[in-house]
Amino acid sequence: MRLTDVQLDAIRELGNIGAAHAATTLSQMLMCQINMSVPEIQVVDIGQICNHIGDDYSAMVVFQLQGELEPGGYIVLLVSRESALRLTNTMLGMTDTDRDLSEMDQSALLEIGNIMISAFLDGTAMLLGIVMLPSPPALVIDMAHAGMSSLLATMDADIDEVILFRTELKDEEHMVNSDILFLPDTRTLTDILRLLESIAGPM
Amino acid sequence: MRPSRFYEGTAIIIGIGEHCIGPDPVATIGLGSCVALILYEPRRAIGSMAHVMLPDSNGRTDRPGKYADTAVRLLVDGMVAGGCRRQRLVAKLVGGASMFAQFSGNLNIGERNTHTLKALLATEGIPIVAELTGGNVGRSVVFTPSEGGRVMVKRADGTCCEL
Repeated sequence: MRLTDVQLDAIRELGNIGAAHAATTLSQMLMCQINMSVPEIQVVDIGQICNHIGDDYSAMVVFQLQGELEPGGYIVLLVSRESALRLTNTMLGMTDTDRDLSEMDQSALLEIGNIMISAFLDGTAMLLGIVMLPSPPALVIDMAHAGMSSLLATMDADIDEVILFRTELKDEEHMVNSDILFLPDTRTLTDILRLLESIAGPM
Repeated sequence: MRPSRFYEGTAIIIGIGEHCIGPDPVATIGLGSCVALILYEPRRAIGSMAHVMLPDSNGRTDRPGKYADTAVRLLVDGMVAGGCRRQRLVAKLVGGASMFAQFSGNLNIGERNTHTLKALLATEGIPIVAELTGGNVGRSVVFTPSEGGRVMVKRADGTCCEL
């Protein structure tokens, strides 16, 4: 589907609010300052996704969108493997970064993802007036592109483009970098745009 | 498409639903449930690759590399048009993993992609000489027709293997 610049702006603003909530919770958990980038929103052809999401070893905490909207689409916390280790080290009071992600790390990541993404969706719910709930999370530690393309293959419609909403949350002190990727499917996106339009007037 | 740096060498990198036919090295990154369909003609050292995402085109023709059914047709016809003998074609398959068992319900897309490609290749009479499919890991792959059709598969943890 084609989006106008105004629609893209509206979604960027929605994501901005969500990401700010997520950043606050991350900051509270790590007890440090988190810098948030201006969210990028791009409509990307599936053939070009590999230029945005690489095959680096990453941890992905994935949630399906549920709640008052029909289930549709995904929201993902994407953290490079190195950042994931520094993140869990900070939480678990460890320092060793030259190790595999243990079961402890994995449950810490699931929990961080849960708290951040719930905060993100709480923020968007306040604006939209409806609640998008995250499904129980799934954690995959593998190539980012492999995870994301597998999610796209399970989306409702046979899509050729995705709306890649991406915001970077950065903890300079612990050198932790994370991305939130929001991949609504067509129906969810239509619902969201309709709600935004009813708030802001016709776009 | 231009060649780019890819691990140790250079290769033409194709994205989801794209394809490439010719003598040059071709690579694709981060295969999850997608499958890299690779055809090779040993005598002429020409090859082709498509990054297949879904098993069935349902009649769509605008992105032939994206679907198993249209991709097989596309690569076979393209190689024959490039002067390859279809009796000499061999195939290799990489990918078709299941990354998110939790969200796929009973639709294992990776498995269906692999299964459909195998059935179509059998119908075409093209033997599958090597494959690395299934499981639950992501894979990047580079295919070098000029080196005997060598296929290198790399996993997220850096381990490589050759097909």
